[in-house]
Amino acid sequence: MSDPAISIENLTKVFRLSLKRETLTAVRNLSLRVEPGQVYGLLGPNGSGKSTTMKIVLGLVAPTSGATRIFGRDSTDVSSREDVGFLPENPYFYKFLTGRETMHFFGKLCGLGGARLRDRSMELLELVGLRDAAGRRIGGYSKGMLQRIGLAQALIQDPRLLVLDEPTAGVDPAGSRDIRDLILKFKARGITVLLCSHLLGHVQEICDRVGILDRGVLVREGPLDELISIENQTELILENASAALLADIEQKALASGARIVDSRKPQTTLERYFLDVTGGPARRDP
Amino acid sequence: MSALPVTSHRSFSPSRVLAICSITLLELIRLKVFYILLLFSVAIIGSSLLMVDLTFQEEFQMLKDVSLGAMSIFTWLLAVLPTALLLPKDTEDRTLYTILAKPVGRFEYLLGKLLGVLCMVAIATVLMTAVSYVVLYVHEQSVIHSTARLVPPEQVQAATDSIRAAAFGVNLLPGVAVLYCKAALCAALTLFISTFSSSWIFTVSISVCVYLIGHVQSVARDAMQMKHPMGDAPLWNSLFLLVVTVFFPDLHIFSLVDDLAVGTPAPPLLIAEACGLGLAYTCGYLLLAYLMFAWKEL
Amino acid sequence: MKRVVLAIVVLGLLGAAKIPFETDLSRKFREAHFHQGQVNLSMRNQLGQMGSIAALSGFRSVVADYLWIRAHVAWEHTEWGRMKLLFDAVTSLQPRSLLFWEGASWHMAYNASVAAMRDDRQPREALRIRSRDEFYRIGEDYLLRGINYNPERAELFDRLGTLYRDKMKDHCKAAWAYFEAEKRPDAMGYVPRMAAYELAACPGHEQEAYGLLVDLFHQGKQQRLPTLLILIDKLQKELQIPVAERIDITADLREGTPR
Repeated sequence: MSDPAISIENLTKVFRLSLKRETLTAVRNLSLRVEPGQVYGLLGPNGSGKSTTMKIVLGLVAPTSGATRIFGRDSTDVSSREDVGFLPENPYFYKFLTGRETMHFFGKLCGLGGARLRDRSMELLELVGLRDAAGRRIGGYSKGMLQRIGLAQALIQDPRLLVLDEPTAGVDPAGSRDIRDLILKFKARGITVLLCSHLLGHVQEICDRVGILDRGVLVREGPLDELISIENQTELILENASAALLADIEQKALASGARIVDSRKPQTTLERYFLDVTGGPARRDP
Repeated sequence: MSALPVTSHRSFSPSRVLAICSITLLELIRLKVFYILLLFSVAIIGSSLLMVDLTFQEEFQMLKDVSLGAMSIFTWLLAVLPTALLLPKDTEDRTLYTILAKPVGRFEYLLGKLLGVLCMVAIATVLMTAVSYVVLYVHEQSVIHSTARLVPPEQVQAATDSIRAAAFGVNLLPGVAVLYCKAALCAALTLFISTFSSSWIFTVSISVCVYLIGHVQSVARDAMQMKHPMGDAPLWNSLFLLVVTVFFPDLHIFSLVDDLAVGTPAPPLLIAEACGLGLAYTCGYLLLAYLMFAWKEL
Repeated sequence: MKRVVLAIVVLGLLGAAKIPFETDLSRKFREAHFHQGQVNLSMRNQLGQMGSIAALSGFRSVVADYLWIRAHVAWEHTEWGRMKLLFDAVTSLQPRSLLFWEGASWHMAYNASVAAMRDDRQPREALRIRSRDEFYRIGEDYLLRGINYNPERAELFDRLGTLYRDKMKDHCKAAWAYFEAEKRPDAMGYVPRMAAYELAACPGHEQEAYGLLVDLFHQGKQQRLPTLLILIDKLQKELQIPVAERIDITADLREGTPR
């Protein structure tokens, strides 16, 4: 059996507040596993311990107790980061570098070089739709482009795990859609994704499994479909149904002892409507 | 997408350090730190124009002193101010997270950052030395030409020799090398302070204090090493001397240019020992910075 | 907290380990005539607060230069007392600069002393002479202190010899100073001649001086300057050197005398 992409065992993190004896428990006895190939959503309100958990997974913060592993390697071991790509929230890159130079810089940090690094950089810039902007300075990139170059750099060493912190924060709907599409592409390629977000709509669209943190404690965890389906209700969407048919269904339902909770015309999402009127998800930043 | 071959991770990689070093150097160049060289040029060219009514020996001595003094302060400023900004800026911009989320060790990160600053200071030192040489050379030529018109032909050679002897000579270069080592020490010290400091202003303030105390540390050390240092002085006096001697570097050792500028010969072995001490301090402070940074929660 | 304690312990250990190296290196530099400048409380008025800080922070020579320029301004206003205070500060800050010792001595012994003799505010000549001699002594003191800091250099001995010869009229001391200058590797070519001339003027040393002058004469044409030749001639007569042993200076004197 292969190692889980992420395994967290009894993780607790207590921060000592500076110059005070007070402490803050950011994560309390957290255990979870993310299997290879999954898109895992780590949800929670602000201050719930998502970012701390993520930082511990990435080795940026040391756990007070417990352990985290990436594909079997301890997170505190620098070599574990060979398998991880990370996109921080609102990423910032060196403004004076072009997109291509940024990719080269991060590639060199991962031990890549020469033609292999050049090819890999162009391949990823193509993947995230920044090939044409590869020679432009990052200082001139839009928010969506920054997120996309962030995703590209996260993938430079071909990691098996991607950790994304609020990847669509501050991005317009079209950019947001692009990023979600990219995440689904990564999933299709077998890359495991740990996604931290509080934009629940996005999580719902792409995650296989979610964990919900509240004040440092994992309160719910499991496959998304199971967590959000209402077991005793059924949704029926009809097209071109006549009023007589609807009345007939209602009568039969009542006769069988079922209760009709709601009946309404389905609506498109505001996002889809916005994308339709502004040119759709195919639009890219210049 | 082609799969990249998995390479075994090395705990220290010069290429990773080089990548961070070059990006730091580029970042500093983009921050326009070299504008400080314009100030340097203005300082020494301006001072050369101000020296009227002095003998040529006095003029050359003062030009050398001003050049080397300015070089001393500018190399220190260039070492301390950018270093104090490195960690806070990377943390604020979150580039620190992006870099350390790659398979980059924290020591590699610190070393790369420090080397970036040291490369920048090295470039600045070379440029400042070149500017000093040019200004002194121009001044030397003008004095030689004006003297040649005043002295009898048979004395021109002797006069020219004495003018050349007073101008900027290669004997000052070891002093410049030691100045650079002092700047490297100060950069590493600032990096160490910035690993536990809460703001860059605090870092710079502490660095300035260490710089000032470091120049009189030898006085404390000499007093401590005297047989009867303080007579009946209270214990805390001796304790104070001990703390200053142990915890502060002796920066006075690195101030050789004052004496080199007036012709004191520099024994190569002593210069090498001073450079070695500077390098040892730099390594020591880097090690301390790593100790603090290795467990720092980002 | 643990890492702070660890860092302090490592800093302390490294700090303790470096002390012998620093002490040794500091001693070696002092032996090589480095780091002899001093900043002391008596300079406070001349340096000011910023100057003191700058001087203590590795900018001794720049501060010394600044004070030297101020001394130059004081000279233009003939403020001799102020000049002396500034010279004291300059030479303390930068004792390895021969220029400062020499300049300070020259201003005191050659300029201030002449000004003292021309001082209209002092009608009594005896007091004017006393004041002049005091400036000579100050000039001499600068050179002697400078020599103390720069014992390997010939220049200050040479200037001291000239001061004894021209101003203080002490030819024995002048000879001693020139002899001392002669011992230094950077001595100027004329120094042995000056030493011999001054020794010739030092009562009781005429025989010794004659021997030196003869040696110089035999070194070749470049030493046979009119003063040397005339002095040889004078001493030969005074010391009653047998005629057969005397040096005939007439040919050289004729050659060396401009026509």
